Amino acid sequence: MNIPVVEKILRKNEQAARQNRACFDSHGLTCVNILGGAGCGKTSLLEAVLPSLRDALRIGVLEGDLATTRDAERIAALQIPVVQILTGGGCHLTATLVDAGLQHLDLAALDLLVIENVGNPICPANFDLGEHLRLAVLSVTEGHDKPAKYPLLFKDTSLVVLTKCDLLPHTDFDVRAAEGDLRRLRPELEILSTSARTGSGIDALAAWLRAHIRRSA
Amino acid sequence: MHEYSIVQELLSVAAVEARRAGAVRVTGLHCRIGALRQLDHRLLLEAFELLRSETVCAEAELRIETTFVTACCGRCQHEYAVHDWNWDCPRCGGSGHPLGGGDELDLISLEAEIAA
Repeated sequence: MNIPVVEKILRKNEQAARQNRACFDSHGLTCVNILGGAGCGKTSLLEAVLPSLRDALRIGVLEGDLATTRDAERIAALQIPVVQILTGGGCHLTATLVDAGLQHLDLAALDLLVIENVGNPICPANFDLGEHLRLAVLSVTEGHDKPAKYPLLFKDTSLVVLTKCDLLPHTDFDVRAAEGDLRRLRPELEILSTSARTGSGIDALAAWLRAHIRRSA
Repeated sequence: MHEYSIVQELLSVAAVEARRAGAVRVTGLHCRIGALRQLDHRLLLEAFELLRSETVCAEAELRIETTFVTACCGRCQHEYAVHDWNWDCPRCGGSGHPLGGGDELDLISLEAEIAA
């Protein structure tokens, strides 16, 4: 016999994500999930932007990775509380993994929780972690075709951060083509050009984060 | 490569729903999966064959229905399904923008034998 169901396949993750979000809300903190391919510059972006936010905001970081604690060590060097979540080969973070990581952070002492997802342009976009804001990172060395190839990553993001823009003269990256593909997914999508190396656009990113944290908190 | 985790979740939702309906054996699962999810259906079926053993779905067949993003042409307002990420309007060649859909990841129904 046929049994109608109509259920989300990822309902367990979505329940855990709702719990995480309720937990963040009860502590009055804003959670940002940072997604992007391996090597797109997510950690370097955090190293560039977090120091300028630290005076006004109490920040904590969850670092997701398949292996090694190297990213967490880079964040810890900034004297920012950080927890490394190792997926042991898993290609994305889940809301349950985040919940386990949260046990090692004092949420009452935070205004901003940054989750750096596993470097991967596809899988992490499927898993809500309970974040309030989603940042998609795209480096100019990856190629301007990526928004067209990985639409889910960019479609529901709060902000797209272009990284490594100091390298633009050395690449064939077509900013206009990338922006066209991004704005096709969402006409009002905000796009910010940055370089962690030269510092360009980093103040604008810090300002964006400050503005959105106040708004959603 | 998130196909295996998706199938694992699918099997656990199916097990709960089968138990709730009093099913002793699930013979089929019907899923609706949007193109935006970028799941490889061959890998899903492969994962399903491997992971279904020793579950209530051990003999079940997985049927996947694909859904696509619906776009609207900015020039002629024609509404159409986006295939292979070609957003151009099939009627006039204009540029389309997404209206919705294509991100489904749902278990729609089970085909099952109920305890007598």
